[in-house]
Amino acid sequence: MTTASEVLSSLQSAFPGAIKDPRVESDARLWATVDPKRIYDVCKYLTDKLNFDHYSGSAGVDWIANNEMEVVEIMASHGAHPVVAMLKVRTPRDNPSIKSLTGLYWNADWYEREIWEMFGINFENHSGLYPLLLSDELMGVWPWRKDFKGYPDLTTGQRAVALPTANGYTEFRIPPTPAEIEAGTVPKERPKYPSFREREEAEIKSDSEMIMHLGPQHAMVPGPFLLDILVEGERVRKGFLDVGYIHKGIEKIMENRTWLQGITYTDRMCYVASLSNNECYCGAVEKILGLEVPERAQYIRVIVEELSRIQSHLIGTGEFLTLIAGVGYAPWQYMIIDREHVISLIESVTGARLTHSFVRFGGVRNDLPDDFAEKCKITLPYIKSRINEFIELFAQDPIYDLRMKDVGVLPAETAKEVGIAGPALRASGVSYDMRVEDPILVYPDLDFKVITGTKGDCADRIDVRLREILESIYIIEQCLDRIPSGPIKPEAKVPKKVPAGEAYYRVEDPRGEMGMYVISDGGDKPYRVKVRGPFYATLQTLPPLLEGVYVADVVAIAGSMDGCPSEADR
Amino acid sequence: MLKKKMIKNFTWPLKVATHGVESTRLYPEVMMELPAAERGIHELDATTCIGCGSCARVCPNSCIEMVPYKYGNPLKNKKMQFPQIDYGRCMFCGLCVDECPVECLKMGKNVVMTGWEREDIVKGPGDIAARKHSAKEVAEFEAEAKRIAAEKAAAKKAAAKEGAAKKAPAKAAGEKAPKKAEGANDKSKNGGAS
Repeated sequence: MTTASEVLSSLQSAFPGAIKDPRVESDARLWATVDPKRIYDVCKYLTDKLNFDHYSGSAGVDWIANNEMEVVEIMASHGAHPVVAMLKVRTPRDNPSIKSLTGLYWNADWYEREIWEMFGINFENHSGLYPLLLSDELMGVWPWRKDFKGYPDLTTGQRAVALPTANGYTEFRIPPTPAEIEAGTVPKERPKYPSFREREEAEIKSDSEMIMHLGPQHAMVPGPFLLDILVEGERVRKGFLDVGYIHKGIEKIMENRTWLQGITYTDRMCYVASLSNNECYCGAVEKILGLEVPERAQYIRVIVEELSRIQSHLIGTGEFLTLIAGVGYAPWQYMIIDREHVISLIESVTGARLTHSFVRFGGVRNDLPDDFAEKCKITLPYIKSRINEFIELFAQDPIYDLRMKDVGVLPAETAKEVGIAGPALRASGVSYDMRVEDPILVYPDLDFKVITGTKGDCADRIDVRLREILESIYIIEQCLDRIPSGPIKPEAKVPKKVPAGEAYYRVEDPRGEMGMYVISDGGDKPYRVKVRGPFYATLQTLPPLLEGVYVADVVAIAGSMDGCPSEADR
Repeated sequence: MLKKKMIKNFTWPLKVATHGVESTRLYPEVMMELPAAERGIHELDATTCIGCGSCARVCPNSCIEMVPYKYGNPLKNKKMQFPQIDYGRCMFCGLCVDECPVECLKMGKNVVMTGWEREDIVKGPGDIAARKHSAKEVAEFEAEAKRIAAEKAAAKKAAAKEGAAKKAPAKAAGEKAPKKAEGANDKSKNGGAS
């Protein structure tokens, strides 16, 4: 088994002088600063020689005190070893530019576009640096830099001015602020990029092709994103994605809130999986603080997170199946009723139905109620019997077979390459689960298996989710048997200020690998929080998946990914 | 059964029109059972609140404002303030409840809130107080405060007189100090008892 120190020594011998201030945090975490000129070669070496075949994302950091920008590349492996390498690349703050990794990893595209539009870091050799999450008029203000004053400059209190146009519309213009005029730094015209519309229309080659819009408000997913497909007859030739309709800037908001207040914002990223988000953030902060979580609190966290997984899979599957004509609304009705029981169980512990704000640094908010185990003994077998019924039901339904079998097949190799996450990846037969790869809490003590599919088609994705529910029920039953009595919060009071440091923490969200990269500068607020969401990765893979399928299958494929655009946009 | 419901259907609009019942009709008619941990509308124990403002500081949406309130915990500090919650902004995260050092703020099982105006969902300490002092108790407190003030004034007067009577200033100062301390002790004892 490869460990972080082995990876480091291998890198140091291959690239003498290029790896600076390395830090081996544990067997599974390696931190290092890489020479910006060699980053491409280092990543290529990692992928080719050391099995780092999973580009897990990248984060931008603005070190305004050092007058430097930083990009952190997060490299991991699809199950070959548990090491996560966090490679930092530094670049001067004026005219920041680093090498793009899109040549090596297909999925680096979106991560680099996001860093470019938020921080203004240019990526050399990136073929399509277009706005992703921000609207076009926000380009060039680089909102996530530390010296960003709001747009329009909120320090002056000036807002956009409405101007009526000749044809009866209203245009909004943002005039330069007096401070800007005085200083002579009136911003030049914002850089213009071809809009999403222009880019997709440039792809129309003949009169037989046309563009179909699915969204931004489509029943396919419980949130807004625009999926445009270029169709030629019945076949999809190309897919285009436009996201950012509910971009809330949660990462930036959390920089302006105290550590404790940040928990409530993680809830709102994806309310269906808010407990995993809580866990991810709190886990990262606990890592910096060096807090030990009491054992009972660990068990409670596992129990509520698995319950949350059950309800998330139930609503995701149920909602999706309403879209597949023929299978109809019956599964939705069944699943939403069953989910109600699970939600009530979670509510009895956390006190809220969806946005729980339940996990705390070093513990949990509430203890389990006295009758929780008895309630579970009634609910869990019931859910189990229902899930078995659903699996049987779908196996018998011929229309379900026609719509789902062999539709949207994603081979294991492609799935690894495009960086898809969660059940959609496991349906392709890749056994990649954070609960096993990067074990947290009491998961190492528990007995469960990672559910995988065989073919990677839509039916497999649903099947994997349903069987994961059964596995989750098994985990909860074990936890209820073993849960010890004891405290649920750390004995010492958790300090308001977190010592300077950084941590990357991964959990298995219902939708896949979720990671949070948290940096503290020793203050009472985070310096930077980067959320590596699972659906961000999954959403990016839609266009290549949709190429060449029938129009009728688009909804089946896109819906079977169980999306949450709210979390992709953040 | 059916008849009963039909009658209710007729009487309800009448009731709304004539009595000005400012709420929609509950449906389902029986509220679901809520767990003990439920995070609903806040309940304030105004008799134990110390007005520290921890809840207002920790609130992520800054929806808690500290306002004066007559029927609260009176004797510690006359200018003491109590939380007023703007439910238009509250997201029921419960951080205020966790932060409260004397556990006087809780979240109850009441989750229903209606109103016609925006101001209706800004609930002052009087609206959210589950326990508060009655008007009679407040009058007693005020009388007590007056009595203490009068006593203090009298003590001061006496001290001043004594000081004026005695010619040696050093000696007067020596006698004045213990008397003042006694008065302070008296006051805190009274406060603790009530």
